[in-house]
Amino acid sequence: MDTIVAIATSPGRSAIGVIRLSGPDSLRILRGLIHDELFKPEPNHVVLKQIVRESGEPLDSALVTYFEEPRSFTGEEMIELSCHGSPVILRRVLDLTLTLGARLAEPGEFTLRACKNGKMNLSQAEAIRDLINAQTDAAAAQAARQLKGELAVALQPAKEILIKIIVRLESALEFVEEDLPRIQWQQIENELNQVLGIVEGLGRTFGIGRALRDGLKVAIVGRPNVGKSSLFNKLAGRDRAIVTEIAGTTRDSISESIILRGIPISLTDTAGIRIANDSIEEIGIERTHEAMADADLLVVVIDGSTSLAEEDLRIIAQAIRNRHVVAINKCDLVSNAEIDNRLYPSSTVVHLSALTGLGLDELVAAILTPFGDVDSEAIGLLITDSRHYDLLQRTKLSLETSLELFGRSASEEIVLVGLHSALQYLGQITGETTTDDILGEIFSTFCIGK
Amino acid sequence: MVFDEAFDVIVIGGGHAGCEAASAAGRLGAQTALITLNLDLIGQMSCNPAIGGIAKGHLVREIDALGGIMGRVADRTGIQFRLLNRSRGPAVQSPRAQTDRSLYRAEMRKVLEHTPNLDLRQGMVTDLLVKDSKIRGVEMQDGRRIAAGAVVIAAGTFLNGLIHTGQRTYTAGRAGEPASIELAETLKRLGFPVGRLKTGTPPRLDGRTIDWSAFQPQEADDRPVPFSFSTDSIEQPQLKCYVGYTNRSLHDSIRENLNQSPLYSGRIKGIGPRYCPSIEDKVVKFADKERHQLFLEPEGHNTNEVYLNGFSTSLPAGIQQDLVRMIPGLEEVRIIRPGYAIEYDYVDPRELRPDLQCQRISGLFHAGQVNGTTGYEEAACQGLVAGINAAALVRGMKPFRLSREQSYIGVLIDDLIKQGVDEPYRIFTSRAECRLALRYDNADQRLRRYGRELGLVGDVDWERFNHRQSRIVEVKGLLKGVRLRKADAGYLAAVERTGSDLGESITLADLALRPGVTSEMLKQLLPLPSRERATLSELEAALADNLYAGYIRVQDVVVRRLRHHDTTPIPEGLDFRTLNGLSHEMVERLERTRPQTFGEARAIPGLTAAALSTLYIAATLNP
Repeated sequence: MDTIVAIATSPGRSAIGVIRLSGPDSLRILRGLIHDELFKPEPNHVVLKQIVRESGEPLDSALVTYFEEPRSFTGEEMIELSCHGSPVILRRVLDLTLTLGARLAEPGEFTLRACKNGKMNLSQAEAIRDLINAQTDAAAAQAARQLKGELAVALQPAKEILIKIIVRLESALEFVEEDLPRIQWQQIENELNQVLGIVEGLGRTFGIGRALRDGLKVAIVGRPNVGKSSLFNKLAGRDRAIVTEIAGTTRDSISESIILRGIPISLTDTAGIRIANDSIEEIGIERTHEAMADADLLVVVIDGSTSLAEEDLRIIAQAIRNRHVVAINKCDLVSNAEIDNRLYPSSTVVHLSALTGLGLDELVAAILTPFGDVDSEAIGLLITDSRHYDLLQRTKLSLETSLELFGRSASEEIVLVGLHSALQYLGQITGETTTDDILGEIFSTFCIGK
Repeated sequence: MVFDEAFDVIVIGGGHAGCEAASAAGRLGAQTALITLNLDLIGQMSCNPAIGGIAKGHLVREIDALGGIMGRVADRTGIQFRLLNRSRGPAVQSPRAQTDRSLYRAEMRKVLEHTPNLDLRQGMVTDLLVKDSKIRGVEMQDGRRIAAGAVVIAAGTFLNGLIHTGQRTYTAGRAGEPASIELAETLKRLGFPVGRLKTGTPPRLDGRTIDWSAFQPQEADDRPVPFSFSTDSIEQPQLKCYVGYTNRSLHDSIRENLNQSPLYSGRIKGIGPRYCPSIEDKVVKFADKERHQLFLEPEGHNTNEVYLNGFSTSLPAGIQQDLVRMIPGLEEVRIIRPGYAIEYDYVDPRELRPDLQCQRISGLFHAGQVNGTTGYEEAACQGLVAGINAAALVRGMKPFRLSREQSYIGVLIDDLIKQGVDEPYRIFTSRAECRLALRYDNADQRLRRYGRELGLVGDVDWERFNHRQSRIVEVKGLLKGVRLRKADAGYLAAVERTGSDLGESITLADLALRPGVTSEMLKQLLPLPSRERATLSELEAALADNLYAGYIRVQDVVVRRLRHHDTTPIPEGLDFRTLNGLSHEMVERLERTRPQTFGEARAIPGLTAAALSTLYIAATLNP
């Protein structure tokens, strides 16, 4: 039995968002999420746990509840994660569970499992059956849309090439005594790489596609009085934050929804980080750290008119583990070449003036670039659905396995395992290809028959 | 009703399906009668004189593992054994044998005559006696009535058979044998949906008039791989086949004569198999092909007759000889029997349950070409399943069925009853989702125990099977445990053979995965006494498991994803009309098919997702 996962709360921003896992691997996946292989939760008790990215950085802290089989909603081992209700965070956590081996649940699948395990009686089940029907109808409608949808069209060439390759390899296996043309291995390898290229290209749009749908969180950080609030106001297009000469003017984080090149962005101005002078500032700085943890990208602002302070370096060192851009402000005043030399080579650096707006376009580009090709709007097709992304990644993996086996001159039936799974994954987006379709293709391509 | 005789099981037809059905039913203790038009033609191979081939050889092995007879008979009468796809992995290798046509018939008849509880009867069945949707017996052309609790129809191409050569047509079951017209009409009268299929056969040549030097010989294997797990060695002297080609001028002549072909004049309505096209089809559909390959296959030791494989035709008998003589090496050839096309009735196999029993009439089973299949092996495996289940029915035992995951037989039957056919159905390895696990070498490991449980596998074979399995396990352990070290005698030879660095030492299992390593070579590296004890075939079975282990896991995941609800049973007596929210149309579709599992319901064409959800809940709540 697979372990299934889904976001249980409705889409959109909310105070908390719940992710549910059900199946025999639930606890194992939880241990992976919190990077604690030995974690032994007590059933039906709520504990606070840090969910950690693959890289080891914290992603979110969540309330975790473990339900032992069979005493759960589905009757299977289950985990409920109450995360912070940001769609971005929920999506990230969901993606992590997928990489740890969970499968996205189909509509109504939790209820089906509950019925199957006798957790629900007839009247209860009949009451929710209407719900399931509705969901499945919607799923069917969605599948129909996909069938004639843009994504299917974009994947069609990849699928056709893949079928052509399968047809040639299958014919060689099934009709060994026939007078068939020799298999051109080099050509097949090139074609496989072509398919892989299409699949990878579409997969790469997922970052920007997801950003387009869920939005990005960008936080402006830095030590006090480097011009964070000025930059915030410039990007927001209005004087939202109070700007003064006095260091530490911004006491609390404030956020503003803006749109940069079509991408919705929640922009947060934070209190400058330093040793706090009073308890209000202390709370403000704490919130800055929270905002930093929550952000998809940090803009670290540095005052370019003075030399680099210890505080600056500490903040950059903190940001370096996250996606970040270093914005060297006040380039209208004076430029200090020495600063650039002391920054990390991996940081993206932009010189700008929050006052005049000089360099602002470069900053916007630098903010969006890590999420994919911003010009992909020109392509028009973006992967926004993590189910599609999941399928494309699986397709890619299967193709890569087959390519590697090709390199080792493995026999056709082994190479074909990966090709058939790739075709099946693609088929979940574009519509199924049956064995009969492939056999039909063989018979119309080659003259078979003793 | 008054009956002249009574049996438990009646099998109609003595072809490959009928023979397996009768043999199985008799051995399972059912009093069985095999009724055939001509007792001298039992086990007749009406098309090419060969058994097995890719995927078909798998079927023969599976039949044998279950305790069927085709493999043994083919082993005793095979005159050219070849293991196909030797250069590829074991999952797509398959045994094939040219057989001596007349020896095969004689041997098959002998086997049936020695089968307990089995009577042979010559005659033509013209009517099925049915009462209250239950089979009661059959009526013969001469008026005899024979009672039976179960009847297996295995009538091959005889149902309404119509032979075409040129513009001439005549009713026949095979060349020279009468068709079964009344039985076909009976099936229609009973309400079965009947369709029309077509197949064809090439001319047979007089071997004395062939210039053999113009063809390339194709030798038998040095080490023949038998079909049956019970066969120790192949005793028949082995013969050669020969390969030749057609040419452009022959193609032109065929095209000039197309107006005389019933295929192209529209006289033939039945659908022929795309993978077995007539020579007319080949030159029309693949017009740019320079030449088409032909095989000259000997029909047996004691005959000059030669089968011209690849030249199936329904052109007029009179011009076939002129055409064949355009092939280099056949300039002087004389045709003994002309080729022909035959159209016949088949019954939509979606009428059947997984045990091959008709939903419409209990006790009536269909096996072989009547279900729209083609091929001796396809027919035989259905005959075996139908025979087992006919006996099971009359003896009050539960139906026997095999899944797609465990056998090609399961794949074939599942495809038939779920998808139906739109051309003669042939098995291919690509039809199996679990191809790497369904191998010829492990058919016994997969199925022998079922044969034993049913009672078709005797003590000697069972003991033999257990010994083989324990040696395979032993060899598997050795492959993982034994390391070939730098200091060992075989090390340098292994490096040379694989052309790769083997390090300080390597397990035999890992060595086996390197290119160029043969099973013979590995056998020499096994320690005594296993080296002496294990046969090459046992070592190869162990190696196949070793080779595919990782990929089989990948395949399993894919299969599981496809059918994670598929094994959920749907309660036998579930009344679909009582389910809220099912439209009339959905109920009708479900009632027609009566799915036994959720997976079968999923395969019903036209069933909506909403209907499936409803059904799934009903199925899981009323176990």
